[in-house]
Order: sequence, then C-alpha cells, then structure tokens
Amino acid sequence: MQRVDTIGAVFAALQQVKTDAPAYCANFFPAPQKLERWIDQGELFLEFSPGAVFFFKMDREFWRIYFCAANRDVLRRQFMSLTAVKTEPMVIDMLEYESTPDGLLPLIESIGFRRYAKLCRLTCPGSAHLPSSRSDDRQPVYAVQEDVPGIFEMLGCYFDRYAEQLPKLSEVEMAVENRQVSILKHDQTIAGLLFFETQGAASTIRYWLVAEKFRALHYGSALMRAYFAAHGATRRFTLWAMADNDLALQKYRHYGFTPDRLTDHVLVNERIPE
Amino acid sequence: MKTVAEILKEIRPEFDFAASKDYIANGMLDSFDVMTLVSTLDKNFDISIQGVDIVPENFRNLETIGALLRKSGAKL
Repeated sequence: MQRVDTIGAVFAALQQVKTDAPAYCANFFPAPQKLERWIDQGELFLEFSPGAVFFFKMDREFWRIYFCAANRDVLRRQFMSLTAVKTEPMVIDMLEYESTPDGLLPLIESIGFRRYAKLCRLTCPGSAHLPSSRSDDRQPVYAVQEDVPGIFEMLGCYFDRYAEQLPKLSEVEMAVENRQVSILKHDQTIAGLLFFETQGAASTIRYWLVAEKFRALHYGSALMRAYFAAHGATRRFTLWAMADNDLALQKYRHYGFTPDRLTDHVLVNERIPE
Repeated sequence: MKTVAEILKEIRPEFDFAASKDYIANGMLDSFDVMTLVSTLDKNFDISIQGVDIVPENFRNLETIGALLRKSGAKL
C-alpha cells in the first residue's frame, strides 16, 4: 500500500487499468476536489495488482476501500490477494441501480465482506411545489465556527460512521465556512441542523437532524422549509437515507422526495465487529 | 445508436442539457453520473474512453463530450 501524493497518480492508475478493458468495473467515482482534499491530508493510499488498482481512504479507525479492475475475474482474484483486507477494518460502498441483474454484490460477499447497511438515494425536482417557510417557524441561522464542535458531536451521535460517510472535524469547519450548515438553537444548545452541499442547480442534503429532546417542536420542518426557501433556483435536490428507516423515508416523501432506484450497499469485513 | 443528448437525458431527465455550457459547474452531472455516462458512451459507440480522459473538462457540455468521443475513435 503506498500513499498517493498527486492526483495525476490516481488518473495514471485508472488509465493503466481501463485501457482496453471493455468489462471494466469500479466502485471508484472520484470527484477531483474531494480527491485533492484526501491527497492533501495524506489520507489516500493505493495498491496496484495486475489488471486492478485498489484505493484505501482513511476514515476514523477504519478504511474505505475502492477498486477499479479490468473485469470481474481479475477483481475477485486480486481482491482476495490483498493482505490489508485480512488485517485491517474495511468498509466498501457498492453503488448499484435497484434490480441490476448482474451487480457485483455477490462477488464482494464471496471474498469475505458482509452486508452492513443499505441506503437509497431520493431526489426531488426543484420545479415541484416546495413548502415555503411559515410565519410561525423558528428561523434557522447559518452555523459559525464556534458551533463546529457541537455539530461534529451531534453527527457522531446520531449517524452511523460506517454507513453514512461522516465528515471529519476539518470538513465540518469547511462546510460552516461555506455556509452549508444551518442550525436552530434552543437556548444555547444546537437543537437541530441541516447540512447540505449545493453546486450550481443541484443540492444535496447530507444530514438533517433534530436532537432527541427537541423533537416534536417542529424544528425539523422549520429547517427544511428554510432550506427550500433559500434554494429557489435549484433544479434537483438529492439525499441518501437508510433504506430501513421508514420514519425518515416517510418524512422525505412528505417533502416531495422519491427514490430514484440508485442504492448504496455498505459492506464490511470481519475486522469490523457485528 | 443513441445520441449523446439522448443518453444525457436518460441519466438526468430533469435537466435541459442543451441550455447549459457547463454540466459540472451547474451541478447537472456528479461523479457517479460521469462514470455512468462513460460506461454508456463506451457501449453505445463501441469505444473505450481512456482513464486519463475521465476528467471534468471533458464532460462540460455537448461539444467537449463530442471531442472526447472523436478522440476515443467513435464514428459520429
């Protein structure tokens, strides 16, 4: 496993694997800005095998593993030969459209990973009739840097670190700096938050949360309505939700979100306890 | 054989791709969409887009995608 020092090394690795590989398969869909951040922070490593390359991204006390392979046979063979998979806690995300007949999940399971969680992507067109803020809504504000520790702690308490790609402290700081976290406070405590990323005409809700003791006070709906009100020009809203969280799915449906068939199967290896 | 515009419409039906000059900056294609697009273009045009060409610059609009297809040997 070697540390990745430049984004060029990533593309060179992809090039080596993808050239003349019509059955190319991958779970690695790198957005350049995100890649640059991982590289700058020394969190990205790679391992070459003939016909395949594996990327390892440090995430708290475990690794997220990504692969690109010339075909499935190569993937299975080279995956099984990776020492790190046997010695380190690993998580793998497999994005697939529902009912894809020839998905890669069985292959990943056959090399020692077990299913841990399933998330589904929901989208909402910006042209839909979106709920607007009500006059009696509490008005959220954008978080400031002094809110960062509280936001970080809440995310860690309420979301799953293996399945929900929790941000590091520095990522929360950056999101706050970019006004991508709106919060509602009850006295001096953060009661709820909505953490989002907007690029051009698309916006993704990453986390929407009201702390347990402040539920039923309509803080969640106030956050959501304010978010929609601030995104009048957005054409597409997206979020990921745990597929078995019926209550959350019901709430998202209420705001016009519907599943778009893309799922994220999160699998973990035996180094991650049951 | 489908056109690039038809393929884009299948991937993201909610956007008007003809009206944008920068699909990436406008948030119309994310990184997963780009990989889906690459895979679909490979099959549709019977080509293999090179790994080094899977960069945002090549997927900004119909013109840049067309140039990428020509570079990759597609018969347009």
